[in-house]
Amino acid sequence: MADLLERGSRWLEDQRTKHCTRDVNYVRGAASAVVRATVGRTEFKTDDGETVRIEFTDRDFLVLSADLVLAGNPTTPERGDKVRETQDGMVYVFEVMDWRYSDPYRKTFRIETKLVGTEAI
Amino acid sequence: MAVITDIADAIVAELNAATFSQPVAAVRHYLPQFDLKEMQTLHVTVVPKAVVLASSDRSRGQGDYSVDVAVQKKFETEANVELDPLMNLAEEIADHFRGRRLVSYPNAAWLKTEQNVLYAPEHIDELRQFTSVLTLTYRVLR
Repeated sequence: MADLLERGSRWLEDQRTKHCTRDVNYVRGAASAVVRATVGRTEFKTDDGETVRIEFTDRDFLVLSADLVLAGNPTTPERGDKVRETQDGMVYVFEVMDWRYSDPYRKTFRIETKLVGTEAI
Repeated sequence: MAVITDIADAIVAELNAATFSQPVAAVRHYLPQFDLKEMQTLHVTVVPKAVVLASSDRSRGQGDYSVDVAVQKKFETEANVELDPLMNLAEEIADHFRGRRLVSYPNAAWLKTEQNVLYAPEHIDELRQFTSVLTLTYRVLR
């Protein structure tokens, strides 16, 4: 018998991707791919440790695991990958710090990033 | 100026005049605060930390003045080949000041250098940034 919860979760993830995403450029070295991503939690934070205070912006991106294909190969996110998001004439460059699956059925990555640069188009 | 800011400025001057394995542009701050986006380049930050005053002899007191020197840079690969030069720079800075008086503040005698934060693992993990902090302590009789 089919797992109704899994079917429902997959349907919801597809609807999220269809209606609540924007195109971002996912980059690893010379390889890149345009993927549809939902912008998740975005927070401005401060690290007060070790003499110098560092400020940064956290941003999570939700991406279908099947969509993350680099150089023709399906892949999982890696620390140091970049997510380039274009908005209002600026490219915001986020660096991948960590990732996990966001659903119990491993259909969607939650990619945890920090803003490391901005570029004017 | 306060003795500790004079000492911190003397440390900045020496850092910027010395030759290390990579160019250093040290800056003194009261409230060192940077955005992660700025950390792609090497930051050497000098911050006054603490003063401990005590009596020395009948007419003079002694002060131990501690100043932090932070070496920080965001890295790309997390590989030893990228982090080792930063560890090396922190050691070079420690070696540079060890046992020497400050050129522009010779009344201060070097007492000790501590590297309690050899490197901050949480910064490597959470910020992909190298952070090492040296604490230089100088004794002044006055």
